[in-house]
Amino acid sequence: MFSAAVYILGIKRLVPVARIAVFVGMIGYSMALLCLILDIGRPDRFWHGWVFWNPHSMLWEVTMCITFYMGILVLEVLTIAAEHNLLKRYPIVHRIAERLHHLMPVLAIVGMVLSLLHQSSLGATYGVVKARPIWNKSNMPILFILSAVAAGPALTIFAISLLSRLNKRPIVKWSLVEDVARFDGMALLALLYLRFWDTMATSYSYVPLRSEALVETLLGSYSLAFWGGEIILGIVLPATMLLTPKFRKSSGAMLFASSLVIIGFVINRWEVTMTGILMPISLSPVMPVAATTLYIPTWIEWATVAGIIAYALMAISLGLRYLPVLPARVAKSSRKTSAKRRPAPTATPAIEPIVQ
Amino acid sequence: MADNDQLTRRDFLKLAGVTGTSVVVAGLGATALGHTSGGATTGHFEAHAEGIAPKPFWVMTIDLTACIGCNYCTYACKASNDTAPNIFWNYVYQQDEADKHRYLPRMCMHCENAPCVEVCPVKATYHREDGLVVMDYDKCIGCRYCEVACPYGARYFNWDANTDPNPYVPAWGTPEIARRPRGVVEKCTFCFQRLDGAAERGLVVGVDLKATPACVNVCPVGARTFGDLYAENSTVAKLVTRRNATQLRPELGTVPRVYYLV
Repeated sequence: MFSAAVYILGIKRLVPVARIAVFVGMIGYSMALLCLILDIGRPDRFWHGWVFWNPHSMLWEVTMCITFYMGILVLEVLTIAAEHNLLKRYPIVHRIAERLHHLMPVLAIVGMVLSLLHQSSLGATYGVVKARPIWNKSNMPILFILSAVAAGPALTIFAISLLSRLNKRPIVKWSLVEDVARFDGMALLALLYLRFWDTMATSYSYVPLRSEALVETLLGSYSLAFWGGEIILGIVLPATMLLTPKFRKSSGAMLFASSLVIIGFVINRWEVTMTGILMPISLSPVMPVAATTLYIPTWIEWATVAGIIAYALMAISLGLRYLPVLPARVAKSSRKTSAKRRPAPTATPAIEPIVQ
Repeated sequence: MADNDQLTRRDFLKLAGVTGTSVVVAGLGATALGHTSGGATTGHFEAHAEGIAPKPFWVMTIDLTACIGCNYCTYACKASNDTAPNIFWNYVYQQDEADKHRYLPRMCMHCENAPCVEVCPVKATYHREDGLVVMDYDKCIGCRYCEVACPYGARYFNWDANTDPNPYVPAWGTPEIARRPRGVVEKCTFCFQRLDGAAERGLVVGVDLKATPACVNVCPVGARTFGDLYAENSTVAKLVTRRNATQLRPELGTVPRVYYLV
């Protein structure tokens, strides 16, 4: 999205933000891929989706979108990595990076299409399932894409605010963060608007199981997650903060607000998935709905999630250390401080940020 | 081999299914194709009249007024298909009321418009030429989307490798198919290993025990009947047309091949 903003809309001042967004995005998508591979019953057959196509399946579309989008992100990060000193002695790498750089607008457009398509297909993955009436609505792709549009920039704000605080100074011009924050606040309001009308529309007539799941969401065991987690903490509070100029100036407030958006996003996905899955299927009018069941993740599931987050933190810190993701000034200073602690690495962070 | 007409129709229904309009399509279908008999849409017969139904056309009927909830069908199924302890290709739901029990045996409905086939990302579950919904365990990646998409809860995931001895063998039958590996989804197959090549073996499906699904054979009250819906003097056809036959959740437009007589 940021690439698109930079290369399509020509908002050049966002370049430093876009670099961080692309890098964090690549790590995020590799996390998603890891999750998927670990989640399926046969991880050794993860490649089946690429070979045995069922274009009719939403999950197949998601698989393909993630695959191609991951490829685009890798190419985009390659242009950053090519500036690395270690690779500078190979002119071929430079030439390829140059080529890629010219391709960036194309990559950005394709990337944006794929990321939009992927989040929409993910929503549609739920939306097409008639067996789960609470999911079965055409709003699902739109809700998913809107919440992703809100959570993506929040992740970037989170990364920048956190790094700025760790570095004791802003790693990019702070007015850029304020721009992104304002946009994110608007996106959250749009999401709130759609969420409101979706809930209203869903509540207006009785549909077996859909209505029960809605009651469970609004008033039952998921009401705290919905009202407290998703709406108040995930949308209303951070939207207020992101749209208030006073808060936008503070990196601490932005760190807090963006983490709320991300947590709200996670809660939303959790609650949407659970209310659909845990509502048991009523087979026939003869056999009415049984009692709702409860799902608590096992320690293996928690451990898997912890492992994937650990991988992401490690990948991000390695990337920040060895790749010129951050603008030069900060990269230099962080190198200086880190050099005190351990011997200088063979590779040094690149010096110049590319602004074209 | 399915002819072109059938492919077109099925593809059309598939397309309709994914755009979420299959309720409309099912409604149209009911108007254009099906008269209703005892509340059940009998689109199957019209499909046959148009010559677009596969032959043979296997269906099962279950007489809910006869079922006594003995679970023999479940036991025989578990023995013949060698399922893991927590996996039920056949399951009998029970509902207790003040003065009586009500039972609902459930297996795979082998839907004409099967949601599981629609959603499988790798085509591991698909329609055979005769329309039965079957699985390729070598393709399945275990994503379990089909399990979520099935409106009948007929699909089960192999969370563990099934290595224990089967307690239903040999009392309720002997395993006829290989055990499925850990990490794939499985479900009822209408015992297609018994149906296939029955004619070559000189057997009549639904009559000879060796060519009839295990759950049908074992039922002590004869609640289940299996056969070709379009065969001459077809017992299932008589039951479906003359008794009060219904399918589960017909409003979803899945068009199941299991008819319940109520």
